[in-house]
Amino acid sequence: MKPDERKDLTEITVIRHGPIKISGDFIITGMDQEIMNTEGDIFLCRCGGSEKKPFCDGTHRKIGVRD
Amino acid sequence: MYQRNRKYSNGEITVYWKPSTCIHASTCYMKLLDVFNPRKRPWVNMQGAPTEKIIEVVNQCPTEALTWKWDDEKKNQDVTETDTNHIKFKRPEMGESVKENQVLQVDQDIPLKIQVMKDGPILVEGSYLLTQPDGSKITMKGISSFCRCGSSNTLPFCDGKHRKIGFTG
Repeated sequence: MKPDERKDLTEITVIRHGPIKISGDFIITGMDQEIMNTEGDIFLCRCGGSEKKPFCDGTHRKIGVRD
Repeated sequence: MYQRNRKYSNGEITVYWKPSTCIHASTCYMKLLDVFNPRKRPWVNMQGAPTEKIIEVVNQCPTEALTWKWDDEKKNQDVTETDTNHIKFKRPEMGESVKENQVLQVDQDIPLKIQVMKDGPILVEGSYLLTQPDGSKITMKGISSFCRCGSSNTLPFCDGKHRKIGFTG
């Protein structure tokens, strides 16, 4: 996206008792410094229990996240 | 809160530790445990690695929690911007308060940089709009780190607890 086409700030939404949602313009690197998917919204695990870390797989519904 | 600040020297360089600005990115002990070991006291062992290696890892601290300088003052004249965490570029002197967001020059046109730290938090660098669990919105700028282990006492932010509970992933 060119700078002049940018409309809004990237948004990070901390979902109550759930994951972190990131939407907008961002670059995410994983634990091995590789660039991961940056298309569309992503949901990152906050409960520590996901089998698909760093992404959310819904496990928080079973184990809960304090907020 | 300056009394918790520490400095460590090996005769060649001095490393400054300013805990109040640490965001628990964990870069230091993941890269150089022989020098930076949070389980030991003192947690910094300047004899644990060659000076060049210590400088390399201190320069990777994303905040100004770890900074350094040459003990030979003449050498401090010659540092370049690649030495990102030299006190010339971060925290002019120990104990001096630093204005918020002073560390980073954030350009709104640069995409938000997100880094998932191994066994640690999510590091976020740049400007963004944060919506908290209670629905409140706040514009953030600079560096922050979000908890991934679920055990932080400062949720949604990281407080370093992942290390104590042995979080992996």
